[in-house]
Amino acid sequence: MGAHLARRYGGGADTEPDPLAMPTFPVDLGLPEREPRTMVATAQQLSDGRVPLAQRDFCAHHLLRLMRCRRDAFPSLWQCQHLRHQWDSCEHQDYVMRMKEFERERRLLQRQKRIREREAAVAAE
Amino acid sequence: MAAAAGRGGVLWRQAASWLRATRAAVAAPSGARAASGLTKDQLPGPYPRTAEERAAAAKKYNMRVEDYQPYPDDGFGYGDYPMLPNKSLHERDPWYQWDQPDVRRNWGEPMHWDFDMYIRNRVDTSPTPVPWHTMRNHFLIFLGTMLVMFALGEIYPSYRPVGPKQYPFNDLYLEKGGDPNKEPPVVTHYKI
Repeated sequence: MGAHLARRYGGGADTEPDPLAMPTFPVDLGLPEREPRTMVATAQQLSDGRVPLAQRDFCAHHLLRLMRCRRDAFPSLWQCQHLRHQWDSCEHQDYVMRMKEFERERRLLQRQKRIREREAAVAAE
Repeated sequence: MAAAAGRGGVLWRQAASWLRATRAAVAAPSGARAASGLTKDQLPGPYPRTAEERAAAAKKYNMRVEDYQPYPDDGFGYGDYPMLPNKSLHERDPWYQWDQPDVRRNWGEPMHWDFDMYIRNRVDTSPTPVPWHTMRNHFLIFLGTMLVMFALGEIYPSYRPVGPKQYPFNDLYLEKGGDPNKEPPVVTHYKI
């Protein structure tokens, strides 16, 4: 857990991404034909369902189904475990995408550093 | 009841005499008098100038002449009232059989000027179990360490190696209170 922090604060800040300033590279660099993420639930549906703002992400359609099931099955809330699992695994995939974004940013920064050093070595000759 | 009253009030007379006897048993001793019963020379007076005045004041306050020390005569109006050590009643022996146990005082003992401040519900001048400078140093070390650690946490925050969370609808522009008449800044997120 601490390796990236040690690198960032311990002198490797040129190759460690800053999560507050991401992304710094063009979106399709190295990934041609990149598709945008699709949002299934509409903003009106999320507003009608009074979903908290922090949960109105790209998995919110699973959350809406889960909320409807919980409202219908109350008080036996354990009946909605299948929908709960679907929402949880969607959130998990979303988190994995965040990790991939971070790693892509990091590798692009390292590549940028390699290019810079190679050009500096060429210019020094 | 009507029959007893008709026989000359015997029961009433018996009750009255019983009451008088009970009250006499718990009455104040003959030497006691109310605070309103003091004469002029028993009240506090002006600052004592001569040795005889000091002796008379010490006797008035039930103190020895060696122990009697009035407040300095600097215009604050203490007069000849004795200056007793500024110790609260917490420091007096709790196990001794005081005449008045709640204020830990014996009858006739001179009262401190700030007696009502030094009662056991209020100011406590008891010595601390640990020297004052030790306590102060320990507290300052703890406070300094905590402040330094929190400052470091602000300068070098800790985070997971993940990118920021992505939200739809231009990062929830309208939901966060954006102006519906203006064009929102377009934000698109991509699959990876």
